[in-house]
Amino acid sequence: MALPLPPGLTPAEIAFMCEMELVTVIPRQRLEGLDLLGGPTPPLNPPYRADLPLWLALLLKRQRRANISPPPWLNPQSLEAILRVETELSNQAFSPPAPLPPSIDPLLPNPAPPFVPSATYDAPADALPYHWLELGEILLEAASDDFETPDQVRRLLRDLREIRMEKLRKGAEVLDAGGGVKMNGVGAMEVGEGRAFITGVIDGLRKIGASKEQAKREREAEERENGFVGTAPEDEDEMEL
Amino acid sequence: MADISDILASVSHPASPPSTTDLHALTRAYTAERCAPDLLPYPSALMIRTLSRIRQQISTVEDLSASADSGTKSGFKLIVLQTELERWKWLVRGLLRARIAKIDRYPLHILQNQEADLSGEESEYLRAHQALLERHYGGSFLGAFPAALRRLDDTAGGISMVDGPDTDGAVFVRVLRDVGRVVQQSGDEGMEMKKGDVWVVRWSSVKELVARGDVELV
Repeated sequence: MALPLPPGLTPAEIAFMCEMELVTVIPRQRLEGLDLLGGPTPPLNPPYRADLPLWLALLLKRQRRANISPPPWLNPQSLEAILRVETELSNQAFSPPAPLPPSIDPLLPNPAPPFVPSATYDAPADALPYHWLELGEILLEAASDDFETPDQVRRLLRDLREIRMEKLRKGAEVLDAGGGVKMNGVGAMEVGEGRAFITGVIDGLRKIGASKEQAKREREAEERENGFVGTAPEDEDEMEL
Repeated sequence: MADISDILASVSHPASPPSTTDLHALTRAYTAERCAPDLLPYPSALMIRTLSRIRQQISTVEDLSASADSGTKSGFKLIVLQTELERWKWLVRGLLRARIAKIDRYPLHILQNQEADLSGEESEYLRAHQALLERHYGGSFLGAFPAALRRLDDTAGGISMVDGPDTDGAVFVRVLRDVGRVVQQSGDEGMEMKKGDVWVVRWSSVKELVARGDVELV
């Protein structure tokens, strides 16, 4: 009965989250608006575009009731521009993500992926969204006929994935237990893939350094008690060996 | 604090309906429970609303399928409604099962420190399960031990038998509001957390921020 899965989202769960992203469809049939649990859907009137969650768009696509309009960042020119940023401009960090939208209601938590429109017709074209890899793969598989050049897009996505994985692997060298590690622009699947390794390394380093950290805390407490600050000799470190 | 763009956005965008907000909250709760090292407080208000909506939708679907004249149009509508219903159920089930996994893993720790974070059913389950286990252990082998060695929650010798989660474990978080400097351990310079950032940090240093909704687990 208990969920027999390790902590952190598995690829299947990440794909499930990704299916809540809004995408733009071009309906081929009329469909009245539906009162779904997650809120009402817009009525579908061909040939007017409408934004629907990906899972519903896929259902319509499979039944040939609609076409999916790929988001602007999935066209070859945008992907090439992003690839250029990844290879030339930022050789360690990921390409910068689109900023989170301002919160609609200050009392509510700020919206975040998958509930910020990052795969609709009017999404930003110059940044990869959080679910870029899954969105790309799912759309290429289910709606490749809605792309003008699906093979080129597929190739560019593969290039992006390789260069970003390389960065993720290289990033392992700077992991340490003390401060946090900033990973802006990382994708959901990349978090999923890297999680076990990255948290494993950080937790491992922390456990190795635990006695040192403990000693430092004690020293600081002692200094506070004695009223001396910063006079402790540095060579106390040797005591831990 | 709300900055000017937030205020402008709240004026120009209509607020989303409460059920949409709840979908966002449930998705966030699911992800948080799957990623956090320890058990999070049970989101009781959210769960009550969600479960009653699911019950309502089930009866809507039943009514529709009873009255459907097997026309393709209402048939398709039914498929969409049912698909969405299954997705909600999947989220609820996953959230509860992730919680049970943690309850099973750290039963004594949760009984001693976190019982307030459980729902009524979870607390009942944990107590009944733990009582059964203790009776079984007692009957099958603990009874043969000297009386001083029979406890399951012994803390003698400075070592506790009670297993707890690693609250310093590293987690991935996304910052939803500027929260300023977060210090992970005394003496370090801290991290400047800005809206939109993704960080790998110790769970203990962001737990409060996650509870406040300034930061979310990813």
